[in-house]
Amino acid sequence: MCFPRSTEEVAAAVRIAALHDRAFVVRGSGTGLAGGATPLADPLVIVMTQMNRILDIDPVEQVAWVEPGVLNLDLSRAVAPLGLHYAPDPSSQHACSIGGNVATNAGGPHCLASGVTSAHVRALEVVLADGSIADLGGLIPDAPGYDLRGVFVGSEGTMGIATAIAVHLTSNPPAVRTLLLDFTSVEAAAAAVSGIIASGILPAALEMMDAQITRAVEDFVGAGFPRDAAAVLLVELDGLPAGVAADVAAVERVGLAEGARTVRVAADDTERELLWKGRKSAFGAIARIAPDYYLHDAVVPRSRLVEVLHRVYEIAAEQRLTVMNVFHAGDGNLHPLIVFDAREPGIWPRVHDAGDAILRACVDAGGVLSGEHGIGIEKRDFMPLIFNPDDLDAQAKVRDSFDPSGRANPDKVLPAGSRCGEAQRIPEGAWI
Amino acid sequence: MTLHLDDDELVACVACGLCLPHCPTYRVTGLEIASPRGRIAAMRSVQYDDAPIDAAFVGAMEECVQCRGCEAACPSGVAFGHLMEETRAVLHDTPGARPRLGQRAVEWLGYRIVLPNRVLLRMLTWLIWLAQRLGLVPGRFGLPKLAARDLTIRLDSDPDPEAFLFTGCVMDAWQRAVHRSALAVMRSTGARVAPSPNGGATCCGGLHTHSGRLDEARALARRVIASMPGDVDIVVDSAGCGAAMKDYGRLLGTVESEAFSARVSDFSEWVVERGLPELRTTGRSVVIQDPCHLRHVQHAQGPVHQALALAYDISTTADDGLCCGAGGAYAVYQLQLAAAIRTRKAEAIRNASPMATATVLVASANPGCAMHLGAVAGLDVRHPAELIEEALP
Amino acid sequence: MDLTDALQSLAETVAAATGPVVGVGSRTQFDAGNPVPTDAIAIAAPCGIVGFEPTDLTVTLGAGTTCAELDAVLAEAGQEVALDPADPAATVGGVLAVGISGRRRLRNGPVRDAVLEVRFATADGRVVKGGGPTVKNVSGYDLPRLLVGSFGTLGLLGQVTLRARARPARTQWGARSGAPGAVLASLVQPSAVLWGGTITTVLLEGHPDDVDRELRAGGLECVSGPAPFPQGPHRGRISVRPSAIEDLGPVLDATGCRWLAEAGVGTVHVAADSPDALAAARAAACSAGGWLLREAGAPELDGFGIELPNVAIMRRLKDAFDPEGKLAPGRLPLISATASR
Repeated sequence: MCFPRSTEEVAAAVRIAALHDRAFVVRGSGTGLAGGATPLADPLVIVMTQMNRILDIDPVEQVAWVEPGVLNLDLSRAVAPLGLHYAPDPSSQHACSIGGNVATNAGGPHCLASGVTSAHVRALEVVLADGSIADLGGLIPDAPGYDLRGVFVGSEGTMGIATAIAVHLTSNPPAVRTLLLDFTSVEAAAAAVSGIIASGILPAALEMMDAQITRAVEDFVGAGFPRDAAAVLLVELDGLPAGVAADVAAVERVGLAEGARTVRVAADDTERELLWKGRKSAFGAIARIAPDYYLHDAVVPRSRLVEVLHRVYEIAAEQRLTVMNVFHAGDGNLHPLIVFDAREPGIWPRVHDAGDAILRACVDAGGVLSGEHGIGIEKRDFMPLIFNPDDLDAQAKVRDSFDPSGRANPDKVLPAGSRCGEAQRIPEGAWI
Repeated sequence: MTLHLDDDELVACVACGLCLPHCPTYRVTGLEIASPRGRIAAMRSVQYDDAPIDAAFVGAMEECVQCRGCEAACPSGVAFGHLMEETRAVLHDTPGARPRLGQRAVEWLGYRIVLPNRVLLRMLTWLIWLAQRLGLVPGRFGLPKLAARDLTIRLDSDPDPEAFLFTGCVMDAWQRAVHRSALAVMRSTGARVAPSPNGGATCCGGLHTHSGRLDEARALARRVIASMPGDVDIVVDSAGCGAAMKDYGRLLGTVESEAFSARVSDFSEWVVERGLPELRTTGRSVVIQDPCHLRHVQHAQGPVHQALALAYDISTTADDGLCCGAGGAYAVYQLQLAAAIRTRKAEAIRNASPMATATVLVASANPGCAMHLGAVAGLDVRHPAELIEEALP
Repeated sequence: MDLTDALQSLAETVAAATGPVVGVGSRTQFDAGNPVPTDAIAIAAPCGIVGFEPTDLTVTLGAGTTCAELDAVLAEAGQEVALDPADPAATVGGVLAVGISGRRRLRNGPVRDAVLEVRFATADGRVVKGGGPTVKNVSGYDLPRLLVGSFGTLGLLGQVTLRARARPARTQWGARSGAPGAVLASLVQPSAVLWGGTITTVLLEGHPDDVDRELRAGGLECVSGPAPFPQGPHRGRISVRPSAIEDLGPVLDATGCRWLAEAGVGTVHVAADSPDALAAARAAACSAGGWLLREAGAPELDGFGIELPNVAIMRRLKDAFDPEGKLAPGRLPLISATASR
């Protein structure tokens, strides 16, 4: 394990790994949910927590250069006095690092309108698997040749290590309104989501929480979430004042038409922040219900939300498990959360079976495996559900072009047998 | 080897990592083992996987400041402070985990003899005063400059008091001026007040709980409870002592101790509740540092802000109340870490100050924090009681 | 419409070719970059809308569909994809292959941000999918971003899924004299800020009252449309840092080129009456830390005029996807002295 403090030290560590033909795995804050940074087979672990300086802030071009260990929220706080923020806001933004965000192409509630990490990374300085240093992308609008920056973002440490990152800073919108809508059925809430999107409004964020998670969160923050609601929607609208006011009215109209009991508009920033604190604490707060959880992250077309949610509850019931849903409804990014107590004998197979079934249900509905957490080791063997051997072979080619040695975080993202001619090892029952 | 930790408490952590940025030692080291999540993982490996209680484990546990900032950040409600206290208690009783004889002797003297003994503590204080006058105390010890004028302050009692001000041990010996201010402010609410009888039997035992000396802590708690029978309010102007005394109910687990704990308030809580007279506007700026034991443990930092805002331009640090590194005896044991944490805190305080003045006025409701931060050049750290007293009509 | 068979036959056509092949659309940008061999077989992608689900705000179409047709289909549901090619006859596949972002990039981001899924024909005749049909997806490597701007050198785009959005309630151009810096700073969310040296033209979109407010804030007069893209036989596109534009403008004037800059973005569209003038514009771009893509004319001029950064990785990508070098050979300057193979 090593804790480099500079690009040169990272390069040196990678070269030493190369010298000994050891794999290497890069790690940030350790908040990842797909096991992308989990060391397999005794690699060199390169921990980036000590490269945590903000290197430069350019308020005119709205760009900041940061080291990968800078925490997401620390960057937004540092640029707040300039009226700017860093838009991708994973729920773990207090703790997760920008480098980890780049590795997983992280999202967050506010990525609905503004896009996930890839849309906010302008340039990267990276150390490749041979220890060389490369600059990807740039502060000019189009770098010549292939978009290597775009491919590197989300590559989960399998193409190299980002050692400096230029991110776009977004201007704070002049008007922000946050609404809490409260429903007596999950279906009605999901229908309201479709209705909002279909009416042409693109909220800054559009989040759903079901009954159990709403109660768990309310116990933690006491923000006044309705404890008896079957589902709540948290909708944030931002932009110029007239457009925001019109959208608030439209969301209210759609919500009430779909059966919302109440529509509460946060009165001030304090109330807004409290509502968001509740939403962003959801995953941790479930320990108040059971000590362990298995969190999924699949995306379905927004028009299929209701039927997929139904199926998720069914699957949980079949396996006698509790499932909760708290997710980015606006972009169809589901986060079914199976809560359980690992001390219960025989529980693990049920949890895994339910997880598998949920993923399959999402894929059947035209969805994908991950919206923002990544593939890592968790979903690696599910990749054949959505990609055929030719698709996987193409992805393997991309990876190998960056790292012909295969030493950068091996055995992540792509299942064994992805390369043409490689022995196929399809996990049991992975095909449907 | 097991730590005998509560199973439910230990499994409550889901390893989400939201605590990491709120941990002062993780912030300055970037090491997982210096974070709450890492420490819980280490506890689990000892309790469940037969990992040894070795020097690495002991070091990892001792590096924790026990600020409990992680608890405030933890959505799962992990009782980290309790887990750490229990772990330290086991370490305290584990022969292999004990420090060397010399250190043990000093600790024994400090915890067993000096802190619980008011007369001895005062004598020692005068000795330190003398040594300071003679220039025999190196500055790096971080001791406050003692003044004979302060050491001789008398604290007056009103007849038939409605509230006792708990005077404690070190604070009673070194910071009597704060007690005098606290009593004055309490009187300004119209109440009859008095310092705790018999010195409240001196030490509250908080430091003992921290270092795993639970039996001694319980003995001291019983002594404190016995010294203040009845139902008179008990006001504490040290956030650390207040936190310990509000926790007596859990420490002793008796009806009597719970009833006692319910009588305890922090100084600011009490005076705001009673109602302060209209204060003079001072026009001065003050940065409020929330002591961990007030903010994360007592959850009672609000009244400090409320009270000071009546007379000062208050501002707060933008670090979610990250610990300053004092941590009771921590600053003595973990010199380097405590100093690194303090440096970070001092920067946050300077950044919070609206004016780039040479000296920043800081309010801290805990004497340990005040002493620790007071050693930083350019910070004038005062207790809220002193600042409020200055603004009394 | 289902294009599965059409995609398969596209792939078979590519595989069957024994010489170089090149994807063609409407040939509106065919001269961008370096020329391909004159004997290259031109292959067109299938066209037509495969699926459009208004409530999902996504649209799937054959890459041979023109931008005009796409826009007409989306307009019926009050939606759009802001591709904005200079010539609406351009095909979606062509716009993506060349990777030219429309003039509303300032608000909407680069064109590659709108691409969710691609299906492309590989040199050896397979149909490969990258990305996915949902608006959010991090399953596997981001092949769509890699394909956009690859000039058809890694595969031939056959079908794409794009992110759509609602058409704005009001669209209004405004103008005022002077450089764009101050205008940019005074506006909250302009969709485009174009500068041609004397006049700054701004596109505002949104709620009518907000557009009015922005017009006032920027001191803008309403105008009927934007400044036209510069015309001429020799054309190029400059990429520089946005902050370099105001200094670059006068230098470009001195070259005799006509130009229009996208302020806040860093793209400058350049047109010249002579190849030499375009070469001078390229020199100016390079000394401002950028580069110029030759888009038309000036046949003697290199398409890029710059060594590709990290060409060794790009070369490996090219060799992995197209080992025989069939796909648009020569389009990108992938040869380098430092290339490993």
